[in-house]
Amino acid sequence: MQTLISHSERDYILHGVESNLRADGRGRLDYRQVTFETGLISQCSGSARCRLGEGTDVLVGVKVEIGQIEVDGAEEVVNDKKAKRGRVVCNVECSPIASQQFAGRGAEDYNNELTQIMELIFNGPQAGIDLEKLCIVPGIWRDVIHYNIVVAHNRYHAEQVLDYAGNILDTIFLTTRAALYNTRVPKTIVQEVEGMMEIEVLDDVQEAERIVGWEQIPIAVTLNKIGSRHIIDATPLEELATEAKLLVSVNKQGKICGMQKSGEGSIEPSLLNEMIQTGRTIGQKIIEAFDVRLREEEVESLKSSSRGGGQINIQKLGFFAAT
Amino acid sequence: MDRRRIPGPETSVSPIIGRSEGAKEIPVLDKDDKRHDGRKAEDIRPIFLKTGLITQANGSAYIELCETKIACAIYGPRQTKLPAFSGKGNLNCDFKFASFSCAKRRSNHRDPQEKEFSQLLYEALAPSLRLDLLPKSTIDVYVSVIQNDGTASCLAAAITCASMALTDAGIEMVDQVAACAASYINDEIFIDGDFFEEQRESGSIILSYMPSLNEITHIIQSGEVDVAVTSQAVELCIDVCSKIYSVMRHSLLESVKK
Repeated sequence: MQTLISHSERDYILHGVESNLRADGRGRLDYRQVTFETGLISQCSGSARCRLGEGTDVLVGVKVEIGQIEVDGAEEVVNDKKAKRGRVVCNVECSPIASQQFAGRGAEDYNNELTQIMELIFNGPQAGIDLEKLCIVPGIWRDVIHYNIVVAHNRYHAEQVLDYAGNILDTIFLTTRAALYNTRVPKTIVQEVEGMMEIEVLDDVQEAERIVGWEQIPIAVTLNKIGSRHIIDATPLEELATEAKLLVSVNKQGKICGMQKSGEGSIEPSLLNEMIQTGRTIGQKIIEAFDVRLREEEVESLKSSSRGGGQINIQKLGFFAAT
Repeated sequence: MDRRRIPGPETSVSPIIGRSEGAKEIPVLDKDDKRHDGRKAEDIRPIFLKTGLITQANGSAYIELCETKIACAIYGPRQTKLPAFSGKGNLNCDFKFASFSCAKRRSNHRDPQEKEFSQLLYEALAPSLRLDLLPKSTIDVYVSVIQNDGTASCLAAAITCASMALTDAGIEMVDQVAACAASYINDEIFIDGDFFEEQRESGSIILSYMPSLNEITHIIQSGEVDVAVTSQAVELCIDVCSKIYSVMRHSLLESVKK
């Protein structure tokens, strides 16, 4: 999985970053253009595809499923809370078609790493999603046998990376936000028949609801430390010249929802603080701009579907479509 | 699933472990600003640290923070078995929870969390080592958690312990790595939280730091936290890491004296 970079290439990037002019003409804190589309996959409860610049292409599918909540060996006070919540399961897969890096067993570790970061941020209150709303039947406590069976909507994301031009994680988070905006949770009816719980899922699209709290879903900004400076939205070559990466996840309010360093280098405390601040300001700006476009896109697709008499005839760009 | 083991019935549900009858909620901070084990919010648990306990290993260390017990062994540097050439030494980290170490039995296979921790361990230790001096070689770092009392603090202790073991093995490094974890409970920072506090936290931070070089080798944070609180936690953790560093230094000197 190791890819190499020559000394002169590394030097070129380092000097470019130093003088605030990168190989593609961007400054240190400039983002590439983002193209996205929602609702491409009919089998999913919600989906989105996002393309960053001319490269990185991420497809996110969200499935809302019914499942049981596992309650592990925790104390009762804590379990009580857990029993009332739905769950989010993330899975990231980098397709080997996207880059040579993702072929073979090396990709497995990388997929696991990305999945763990997603889980770190999406599994908890910081994800913003109202998990209690996703619970269908809360656990009945003080049962005779001390069992606790909980039925809840299980949310399941699956991310697929289709093309690679650096900065995967930021793109994954953006696409996930779009896909969750697009997601509709089907309505369920619970009936008690002879002491047994029966759950009916309504197929009606009109009845399906949007996820409560989607506005609070965080996105992430990856900051790459090159030399004594840091840049955002790195290309693959710049990623190879990066000493240390810091992923800062922020929500609309500018609160930090997760942070992780990766890479082989170290960061000085003062630079770390600066990076967190940069990540936060840029993250908030991105969310703002992204939300405007999300809403616009939805209005557009609603318009065209009403014109077509219920039939959706909007032209989707489809996969691998650039600007 | 492990086929060699006898599985339970398909419909079985895992039991609830922990207090039940007459359970009373203990506050995380009592009226004297003390935690449930008598510490203050910025205090760490007492550390026991010793090197060279595993005879077969090139270097080893054992760390104990009250109920958290971790052993680490280093094998190598030895020749890399992979056919590909690498100009830098290969640091291979293997983090393992013993199946009896947690409240719930852990599988004897490596689960995704252990894989993640192995990766984090690598990222925390790699900046401190002169791997460029060891081309074509591999260093194996094996961490075994014997008892786990708070997963975040467990990882932090493992990083400290592994750095000690690497020093014991005589591997060239720029500095030792000390690591420290903290829990966020109601926007307050609790350094070195144990299992009790971890159950109640809204987020956590793990920071690894090289005290003499003043550089952060790794940081990971979860939960929704204000930027100001994060900066405060980073500063606190750095202070605590310096304290842990003095314990590490003391323990190293002790090991040389014998």
